[in-house]
Amino acid sequence: MNGASELNGPAVLVVDDEAGMRDTLVAILEHHGYRVWSAPDGETAFSAVQERAFDVLVMDIQLPGRDGVSVLEEMGRPPPRVILMTAYAAEDRLRAAADAYVFAVLSKPFELRRMLSLVAQASRDKK
Amino acid sequence: MTGSNTPRANSMTGKWVKRWPLRPLSTVILLVLAAVAAASSLITQNVIADQERLILREQTAEVAAVVGSAFAGAQSSLQLLGEIARSDQDRPQLFANAARAVTTASTQGWLVTTQSGTSLRVTAAAGNGPVVGQALSSDQGTLARRALSAKGLVSGLVRDGRTLRLAFALGEAAGPGTVVWQESAISPTTPTPTGPTSPWHSLNIAIYLSDHPDPSALVVTTTKDLPLAGVQYPFRVGADTWLIVASSPKSLVGSLGQDMPWIVLGFGAVTAVLMTAVLETLGRRRDYASALVEERTASLQSAIAEREAAQANLSRQENMAAIGQLAATVGHELRNPLAVVMNVLYLMKVGSEAAANDPIHRHLATAEREISAATLIVSDLLDYAAGRGPILAPVEICDLVAEALSVAPPPDGVQVVQRGEPQVVDVDRDQIRQALLNLITNGYDSMPGGGVLTVSTTSVPGSAQITVTDTGMGMDEETRDSIFTPFFTKKTRGIGLGLAVTKRVVEAHGGTIAVQSMPAAGSSFTLTLPVLASMVSAPQ
Repeated sequence: MNGASELNGPAVLVVDDEAGMRDTLVAILEHHGYRVWSAPDGETAFSAVQERAFDVLVMDIQLPGRDGVSVLEEMGRPPPRVILMTAYAAEDRLRAAADAYVFAVLSKPFELRRMLSLVAQASRDKK
Repeated sequence: MTGSNTPRANSMTGKWVKRWPLRPLSTVILLVLAAVAAASSLITQNVIADQERLILREQTAEVAAVVGSAFAGAQSSLQLLGEIARSDQDRPQLFANAARAVTTASTQGWLVTTQSGTSLRVTAAAGNGPVVGQALSSDQGTLARRALSAKGLVSGLVRDGRTLRLAFALGEAAGPGTVVWQESAISPTTPTPTGPTSPWHSLNIAIYLSDHPDPSALVVTTTKDLPLAGVQYPFRVGADTWLIVASSPKSLVGSLGQDMPWIVLGFGAVTAVLMTAVLETLGRRRDYASALVEERTASLQSAIAEREAAQANLSRQENMAAIGQLAATVGHELRNPLAVVMNVLYLMKVGSEAAANDPIHRHLATAEREISAATLIVSDLLDYAAGRGPILAPVEICDLVAEALSVAPPPDGVQVVQRGEPQVVDVDRDQIRQALLNLITNGYDSMPGGGVLTVSTTSVPGSAQITVTDTGMGMDEETRDSIFTPFFTKKTRGIGLGLAVTKRVVEAHGGTIAVQSMPAAGSSFTLTLPVLASMVSAPQ
């Protein structure tokens, strides 16, 4: 199933330092026909965004090294749609980021159905 | 009748109580002192009256002594005249001369009578009275016989035509069978006032020739107002008993003595009033002081209680803060693993090649539901420990309800029904979803034997309502009153924060939560949320 949609689905970058979360999210998104890349930290994510144009970024706000907000601030144009994941209650910084760059915020643990619908919506709007 | 009497009596008593200005102790003191004053006044009055009587008696005795001594003089005069008459029987002129020498008043008469057989006749005479040879009157005869038998001075009143005479007769003074007399005309009913120089001029005096105040025996009086009410003093005159009756029209102890009872009464009354006033003042001051002390004590106690409560509150807050910190840390660390497991369950479900009726799907649903319950507990705990204000965004609530229902699939035997038209409300999606999840999982838990869970959304003016109804065991009133209290739970699992957090979330949205429930008749929770974001004053 992955292979069938691999070449023409929307490009999604999953950024999370937790391997379990990262891997399961990649698997789920691939199952739903997206082309998925992943990065374990902000630095790698930033390099990936520079290298390739993504339709959607699904990114944890808290990352080792550069955090999600810092990556967002330096991202080139045209920026991908960003879905930010957070395990924390809303903070002022998150609110500011949400207003400036973010398509949606997902509180962990989130419903996969909602995550999938947001990713679908973001990639559809992008086209 | 009694019915109409009682209220009036009560109202009178009430009026009396309202008007009476003294405290009971002061009242008693006032009454006691007033009684003492009255008693002292009465005693003084009695003492003064006794004194008065004593003085009157003394003065009366003096009068009696003076009168008695005057009559004693009369007796010796009669004795002397008797001797003269005896020695000079044939010369009455000598007697007459001697008698004139002792005469002190023109009305006085002197005579000697001699018994001859049964008759008495005058054998010598001088002054104003019977003459020699004259027979005696019956009064005189009676007196003469008494004088002879008494062999001493006797006295009596002798009526001689219109004239009344006071007669003293001394028997045997001029030899056997003789009586020597002195008579003087008197007019007893005409008052004889005492002169101003007399020591007894303040007294009213009546003298009787009798041992009782017999009007016919009156000899002399100083007043017309007879009989006198006063001291009776009998005294001897020769062989007879006379009586002096004396009274005092004016006070004998002086005006001060007369006024003394009133002075005592007045002084006592003034003392009573002053003492009462002083006691009342002191009493009121003491009452005021003790009321003040009570008030201060009470305010001090309440201040202490407040401080203790504040301290307890502070330490509870500190405890809660510590618990909250711990809960936030643990909860946060649990979120990721729970989310990963949820993802894995999803992958297993979509990747499973087992047939739709394979039990593996039921097991996966159970695992999903349990992970969802665990996640909800963590979320409630985090929210309770560090609740945040809602971040409002337009949300279609039917979609939100569907999402919540999909997260927590119903257990076996429970049928889920969702009703209602789509409508958009400004809410914090995560918070309201958490609230709905709490209500939905509570509904599942109340139907262990299966049932129907209905989630309906309705539109009311300005608000949206979401009602979660189950057909489960329901609640009694006591439970219903406690369900929103944090850490209250009747379930075997859960920590009792679900409904407390739900209520807080809904109220932070400016909404309300209502519950209807009866034992064995299911429960129904209704969330009412304002549609407009501007209606919410969310805490930041």
